[in-house]
Amino acid sequence: MTAKQLNKDTDKQTGENKKRKELKALGFIIVVLFPVLSIFAIGGYGLIIWLIQAFGGVIPH
Amino acid sequence: MKWFKNLWQTLNKPAKYLTLGSISLTAFIMGVIFWGGFNTAIQATNTEEFCIGCHSMESKPYQELQKTVHWSNHSGVRATCPDCHVPHSWGRKIARKMEASSDVWGWFFKTVNTDEKFESKRLEMASREWGRFDRDDSLACKNCHNYDSMKWEDMSKLAQKQMKRAAEKDQSCVDCHKGIAHILPDMGTARAPELIAEVGTGPSKFDAGQDYFTALTKPLFFSSNGDVEAGTLNVATKVKVLESKDNRVKVAINGWRKKMGAGRVIYLEFGINMLTAQLTKDAARAEGVINGFEEKEDDMTGLKWQRVETELWTDAEYLITEQQPLWDYARDTFRSSCSVCHTQPDEAHFDANTWPGMFQGMIAFVNMDQDTQALVQKYLQQHSSTFVKEKH
Repeated sequence: MTAKQLNKDTDKQTGENKKRKELKALGFIIVVLFPVLSIFAIGGYGLIIWLIQAFGGVIPH
Repeated sequence: MKWFKNLWQTLNKPAKYLTLGSISLTAFIMGVIFWGGFNTAIQATNTEEFCIGCHSMESKPYQELQKTVHWSNHSGVRATCPDCHVPHSWGRKIARKMEASSDVWGWFFKTVNTDEKFESKRLEMASREWGRFDRDDSLACKNCHNYDSMKWEDMSKLAQKQMKRAAEKDQSCVDCHKGIAHILPDMGTARAPELIAEVGTGPSKFDAGQDYFTALTKPLFFSSNGDVEAGTLNVATKVKVLESKDNRVKVAINGWRKKMGAGRVIYLEFGINMLTAQLTKDAARAEGVINGFEEKEDDMTGLKWQRVETELWTDAEYLITEQQPLWDYARDTFRSSCSVCHTQPDEAHFDANTWPGMFQGMIAFVNMDQDTQALVQKYLQQHSSTFVKEKH
């Protein structure tokens, strides 16, 4: 096995590794992180309206 | 932490192997799935099946609804729970869903899981719901009902008159139509929760020799620890606290009584029928409970009145330091309750002895618990032409 071939193999290996990392990151973000953040954001929005109303504020319909 | 660092390193650089196309496509698809899923889930909590999934909702409000016109009627349109109890606009709906977290709490801790618990909290829950309707002028009703679409000719003369007046002001429907879909809470026996919320329950420590005012109608006792009642002390009455012991205070009550029968009713002033306290017959006859002083004859009725003083015990609660908050609450209640149906007369339009008859004649038309009734009546008497000099 020449040195060049060896290099190519490790390149391929790190490449596979990198691809898996990217996929994992993408999966984490769109399946877990952003949905959770969205739900918190919507919940927070609801909470703010609730609090404004609780303290007697009027929300236009 | 290392995991997070790795993740950040990957995210912080342009993707080397994933194409921009695949990333944006998956993001787009996930966005659609999330938003669709989220709204589907919200929608699922907005169905009647979901509402009556809890036993307490199924066994009480749902059963009560089935006896009303909102359940079945000649047009075949019916209202479901969320039609009236969840706002229809998106933002408010989300806010209401957040509020419902307290319902989950109540479900978890079994707040209203039995008939008795439900009934004892009915007024509180109904008041909260009325508050919601008040806040947006009964928008929940007006999602279906519309003043402009009402056919006046089909209404009775009285209904027309009331409805047209309401339409002019775009009045909130539940101002009058309380208890149309569920059983009305028993207002007559409840102890004025809204009044107490406004004026408070009073101090925990009392200064001897200081004047206090009753925030509710209170029981009177012969001693600091006995159970024998000596009568009742009317709301908004001024008493002087003499001493505190255990959970009771001894109060001095001054007033006038009519010299007839046992003379067990004590009034505020000579010749004026404003209730201060009503003693039991036993208390009124007992030696040394009521101390009588000078007597005067009322020319109007020919009755003899006697100035009296008595000292009795009452629970050390609902005695507040100022009278004005009571009058403020009574004035607001008088104005809002009475103006629902007619222009309310000025307080000073009648004198202190005419108001009780007037007031009692109208009381059947409004929902007012007994404490609030007594308070409003006393407010009217106190601000009648008898005491307020700019007369009619």
